[in-house]
Amino acid sequence: MSAECTMGEAMIYALARTIEDGALVFHGYGSPLVQIAMHVAKRSHAPNMVLVEGATYGVNPTPLFITPVTNDRALDRGSEATLEIGELFDLAANGRMGRMFLSGIQIDPYGNANVTLLGDESKVGVKLPGGGGGCNLSCDVRNVTLWTTGHRAPPDAKGRRRYRLVERCDFVTSLGNRAPDGRTRAALGHRGGGPDRLVTDLCVFDVDENGELRVRELYPDTTLDDVFENTEFRPHVAPDVRTMPLPSPEIVAFIRALDPLGIHRKELREPDLTRAYELPETVAAR
Amino acid sequence: MTNGTFSSGPAAGGAPANVPLPVETRPDKRVDLTTLASMVKDGDTLALGGGLTCRLPMAAVGALVRAGVRNLRVVGSAHGLDVDLLCGAGAVRASAESYVGFEVDFGMAPNYRRACEDGSVAVEDSCCYTIVQQLRATTMGLPFMPVRSIRGTDIGRLNPSYKTMICPFTGEELTLVPALAPDVAILHAQYGDRHGNVRIDGPPVADLLFARASRTVLVTVERIVENDELMAKGGPNVPYFYVSAIAEVPLGAHPTACYPDYAYDRAHIARYYDAAKAGPEAFRERYLTPFVLDAGDRETYLERAGGDAMRARIRSWIESPEAWQRLYQEHASLDDAAPAICETTGAPA
Repeated sequence: MSAECTMGEAMIYALARTIEDGALVFHGYGSPLVQIAMHVAKRSHAPNMVLVEGATYGVNPTPLFITPVTNDRALDRGSEATLEIGELFDLAANGRMGRMFLSGIQIDPYGNANVTLLGDESKVGVKLPGGGGGCNLSCDVRNVTLWTTGHRAPPDAKGRRRYRLVERCDFVTSLGNRAPDGRTRAALGHRGGGPDRLVTDLCVFDVDENGELRVRELYPDTTLDDVFENTEFRPHVAPDVRTMPLPSPEIVAFIRALDPLGIHRKELREPDLTRAYELPETVAAR
Repeated sequence: MTNGTFSSGPAAGGAPANVPLPVETRPDKRVDLTTLASMVKDGDTLALGGGLTCRLPMAAVGALVRAGVRNLRVVGSAHGLDVDLLCGAGAVRASAESYVGFEVDFGMAPNYRRACEDGSVAVEDSCCYTIVQQLRATTMGLPFMPVRSIRGTDIGRLNPSYKTMICPFTGEELTLVPALAPDVAILHAQYGDRHGNVRIDGPPVADLLFARASRTVLVTVERIVENDELMAKGGPNVPYFYVSAIAEVPLGAHPTACYPDYAYDRAHIARYYDAAKAGPEAFRERYLTPFVLDAGDRETYLERAGGDAMRARIRSWIESPEAWQRLYQEHASLDDAAPAICETTGAPA
């Protein structure tokens, strides 16, 4: 029997792999891919992670199913404790929070991200929803996993591309490894370590010693040229770039059971919904 | 504070931090929804309780719109329908929320976005921890609180009231955020008593901070009960002396969720979103007029929103996981949703 996984499930697995066992990990709202990835990590390689749900602040819940809204009792079910809003952000400020997930409509080479506005504040072109607690958390949390499902930037009728991965953000909502002017996080007095991964619909980046994004893994159906073509800046490439590992059939089954409504697919673009990969038969069952 | 660049000035919204917060002792604070809404004044800094699609005080928000309140400055963490509706009704002059949107379910908030982009609402986006620290400063009677985070981001550009100072103990540069004392907080909870004690079940979001830091706290509840019943349910998490007025408004958070009483009414929000997305005139005609302006009587609103069938639907979450799941699949296609609701409500098309 040949098993396969979808591109969304592969992306969830890539996000899950960024989580260390034993870390206190928090996701924001509006990110079913990340929510599912945290539960995948908790039930596979990171059983000791402290999983804090994005809007209910429930600790180690066992959701009945993933919902399209984040502050929902279905997601909070089975929590063994709950946190209060001030306490949650204190956990990042006092260094206990190990990892947070952030996204952006614009992401620059240092991993600065914008979810606030396009244009500038004197003439707002597009008002985006805003960053929630992402601004503070990006400075305080030990490590950040960035993700976006909009890396691919197809040309419009006039041949122009609206890049997600940009030279420079119109507005920095959450801090990357350096401010756009090059100041390091240490120079800014922040304790958190900054983004160490960016998972996109085309590839996985890590960061080099300068804090810049570097292509590390490709999907089975993407190439470096795809990445270059859809990125406004020329990203660095790791010397040992490889094809990303795919989830085991058991993890795929877990994802499908946790998300029977397919909510994570709402985060993906239409052309990505049909991407799928055959799983190697040699993948060890766990 | 020899090293600081902090200079004293008005707090970021609401009264100066040195005006004492009130202690509300009236034995019976019950009012109707219209009276409650009349306690919000033009120009107030307003904190709305709940978050995202959980316990937003939607009945009170509707009453504010009918009262014609203008020039509000809304402050808080993660919001959606509440702020979008106020923006669509022209009641807001500035937004200092950290997020206003409909998450992955519907995406960006149409009225909020239009108002920010045409300049009628000033963009003063905040961040959750800075809001928490600003509210904490008020609750501690302090003019400001420091935060380590923010520097290197552009959030300060939208918040000129933030200052920096060199820490006299460590020599580090810190960001200072001014005390925030909202003029009014409006919360919706499951239970309260006539004295104003309030029991919030489930995640309180920022409600407890709002209650402690706001000059006036207005509360709507699903049910007003006797204090001993409130104690039996676990006791109040907002003690009465913070609260100025309380109104019993069943389904007062609809179409957002107020568990365990009811879940998210996705079909209704789909209808709202569809109208708001279609433009200001469509929004006024297809949502604001039938569901807010011409629905001052609560029963009229609930009938137009589907009446008993709607009540049964949003309470069905408790029956089974399958029933609960069905609520999030309702009217996934907006084209399907609108006629179905029109038929059952008789609302103007």
